[in-house]
Amino acid sequence: MTTATSPAVRTAGERRRTGSIAWHVGALVVLAVVLYPVVWVVGAAFKPSKDIIASLDLLPARPVWANFSGLADGISGISVSSFFVNSLLYAVLAVVGVVLSASLTAYAFAKIRFAGRNLLFTLMIGTLLLPYHVLLIPQYVMFRKLELVDTLVPLVAGKFLATEAFFVFLMVQFMRGLPRELDEAAKLDGCGHLRTYWSVVLPLCRPALITSAIFTFINAWNDFMGPLIYLNTPSKYTVSLGLMMFRDQEGISNYGSMIAMSLVALVPVVAFFMAFQRYLIDGMATSGLK
Amino acid sequence: MQQGGNARTGIERRTILKAAGASLAVAGLGATATACGGGSGSADGTVTIRYAWWGGEPRAIAIKKSIALFEKKYPKIKIKPEFTDYEAFWEKFQTQASGGNPPDVFQNAVAFLRKYDKRGVLMDLKTQADAGNLSLDNFRNGVLAAGQADGKQLGVPVGANTMSLVIDLKAFRKAGVQPEFGWTWDEYFEALQTIQDKLKIAGDTGYFTIMYLYDLYLRQNGKAFFTDSALGFTEDDLTRWWEDGYKRVRSGLVADPKKIEQVKPKSGLSAGLAASEFTWDNFSIRYEGEGESDYGLAPIPTTDGKDTGQYLGSLMLSAFTGTQHPKEVAQFIDFMVHDPEVGKIMGYDRGILATTEQYEAYAPSDGPDKGVKAYEEEVAAAGVLGKITPHPSGADVIEAAFLRIGGEVAQGKAKPADAARTLFSEAKAAFAG
Repeated sequence: MTTATSPAVRTAGERRRTGSIAWHVGALVVLAVVLYPVVWVVGAAFKPSKDIIASLDLLPARPVWANFSGLADGISGISVSSFFVNSLLYAVLAVVGVVLSASLTAYAFAKIRFAGRNLLFTLMIGTLLLPYHVLLIPQYVMFRKLELVDTLVPLVAGKFLATEAFFVFLMVQFMRGLPRELDEAAKLDGCGHLRTYWSVVLPLCRPALITSAIFTFINAWNDFMGPLIYLNTPSKYTVSLGLMMFRDQEGISNYGSMIAMSLVALVPVVAFFMAFQRYLIDGMATSGLK
Repeated sequence: MQQGGNARTGIERRTILKAAGASLAVAGLGATATACGGGSGSADGTVTIRYAWWGGEPRAIAIKKSIALFEKKYPKIKIKPEFTDYEAFWEKFQTQASGGNPPDVFQNAVAFLRKYDKRGVLMDLKTQADAGNLSLDNFRNGVLAAGQADGKQLGVPVGANTMSLVIDLKAFRKAGVQPEFGWTWDEYFEALQTIQDKLKIAGDTGYFTIMYLYDLYLRQNGKAFFTDSALGFTEDDLTRWWEDGYKRVRSGLVADPKKIEQVKPKSGLSAGLAASEFTWDNFSIRYEGEGESDYGLAPIPTTDGKDTGQYLGSLMLSAFTGTQHPKEVAQFIDFMVHDPEVGKIMGYDRGILATTEQYEAYAPSDGPDKGVKAYEEEVAAAGVLGKITPHPSGADVIEAAFLRIGGEVAQGKAKPADAARTLFSEAKAAFAG
C-alpha cells in the first residue's frame, strides 16, 4: 500500500493507459495473423500465375491483371459468370426456403399446443445428430428415381421443407421469448394462426430470420459436397465446383485464375453480410419489447 | 404447414410442382421438361450418353473437340460431357455408383478396375467387341492388358505411360554424371552422392514413398507389389526399403521432407531442392511449366543391370454395365481410341496414344511430348517392358496409405518396422472393404 519508497509511482490512469495500449497492440498482432491469408490471396491474385507458387513475397513486385482478364475467357469452354449465376440462384433459393419454412415450423412448435409436440420437437433436434454422409446415398437414390439429379431441386428442396433443424431450433427459442400477450391479442382481434404468424410473429422475429438468412447464404455459397454429387453438367456447376476446374494434378494448374476467381467469389458473401448485418444489430436493439 | 408456405411463395410452388411432374414421369404417365439424368432416349431415336472424366482445361477442350467429331459421324448419338478434377471425380463417382447412376462412359485407371468390377459397375467390353461394336485390335506394346482383370476387358486404354525418372538436366551436367540405360541402384545413388557433394542439393525428392516405384523394384527382384488378392512382399522387405530410404533422408541424399511439404503444390524437383524425381512419364510436362531448369527423362535404375521392371500403365475408358445403350457406348469408345483425327486432337495428354492408328496420326511438336515419345520408344526397344499385374480391389487406398505412411517414415515420426506393420494392417482392411 505504501509506495513512498518507490520512485516510479504510476497513477491509476497511467496504468490504465499502458494496459490499453498493450491490449490494442495485442489485438493488432492477432488481427495481422488472422488477416494474413486474406492479404496473401489478394496479393497472389495480382501475381503472374507462375510466381504464385514460386515467390514467397506477400505482395506482387509488379501487379498484373492477367488473372482477372483470364477469367473472362472462361474455363474449359464454360463462362465463369455461369458459375456465379448458378451459385447465386442456389443461395437465394436456399435463403428463401429456410427463412419461410423454418419460421413456419418454429411457429407451430413455439406457439401451438398439439399432441406429440414435444416428441416431434425432440425428433427434429435428433436429426441434427445424423451425419450428412449417412443420408447421402439414400437421398441420392431418391432424387435419381425422381429424375431430379442434375437440377437444383435436390439441393434446395430440403430447405423448403424445414429440414434445417438448427434454424428451426433457433427460431423456436426466439419465438418462445416473445410475449404471449401479443399473439393472444391477435387472437382476440380475430386472427387465425397464419395471420398471427405472418403479421405478428414474423416481423418480431427479424433478428432470428436475418441470422438464419446470413448463415444459409454462406453455407449454400460455400457448399461443395451437395453440388458435386448432384450437378453433372459443367455449365450448371456452382462457384465451388468451378474453382476445382482450375486444378490439374497431371499438368499445370492455373493457380492465377483460380485465386482471382476465389477473390471474386468472396464478394457476394461479404456484400450479403454487409447488407444484412445492419438489420441484425437494428433488430437486436428494437426487439426488446419486454 | 407446407400448405401455408406453399401458398405464399411462387418459387416453392414451382419446386413442388416440378417434383410432382417428375414423379409422374417416373410413373410413366407423361413426359416432362424437367427430366434429365437417367432417361436418355427420345422419339426420333437419338440417344444421349453421359461421358465423365477428370483432368485439366487442355484435356476438357480436346475431348470436347473429339466429341464434336463423333457427333458429326453419328448424328443419332449425343454425348453429354461431365468433368472435374481427380479427387472430386472419384468422390462423386463413388456416390453415383452406389446410387446406381454412374456415367455411361468414364475415364478409369488400373487401380480402380477390380474395385468397381466387384460392385458390378463395369461392363465387360469383350462382349461388345464380340458383337462387332468395338475393336480391340491394333493396341501397341500389349497395353490392352492394362484394362484386363480376371479374364474380362474392363477398360480400353486411351494412352500408355510408364514410370520414369525425371532429372534436372543442368544439375546432372554440372555434376558431371550421366544416367545410362541399365544403371544399377548403387550407381544411381552414387550419382546422387556426387550431385550432393558438388552442388549441395539433394539427389531425390523421396523415392521410397511411391508405391509404383517400389512395385518396379519388387518386379526387378521377381516379386510384385500386388498379387491377385494381396500384397506381393513381406513386412521385412518393406522395412528394409524404408530403412534404406530414411537413412538417405538423414544423410541428405533425399531432400528434407519438410521442405518438400513447404513448396507444395510445386514439386521439390522444380523448386530446385533435389535433382531428380520418380513419376509417370506423362506427368513430366509440369516441370517445364513450374521450374527454371531444363528437365529430361532418365532410365529407371535396375538391380541386375538390365531389367527395369517397367510396364505400360494406362488411363482407359470404361463403361457402366447398366447403361441403357451398350451398343452406342461401345461405338463411342471405339471411335475415341481408334479414330486418327481424335488422336491428333488429344495428343499425349493422357499418355502416348494407345492404338497404332492414333499413334501414327499424331506427330508431337513440342519438347516434352517428343521427350516422352523418345523415352517410351527407348524403353520398348530395350525389351524390358513386362506385363502389368492387375491390381486387387483396394489398390487406390493402399497407394494413398503407402504415400502417407512412407511420409511419416521420411519425417522420422514412425520407425520403418512399425510403419511397415501399419501398412500391412491398413492393406488388410482395404482388401476387405
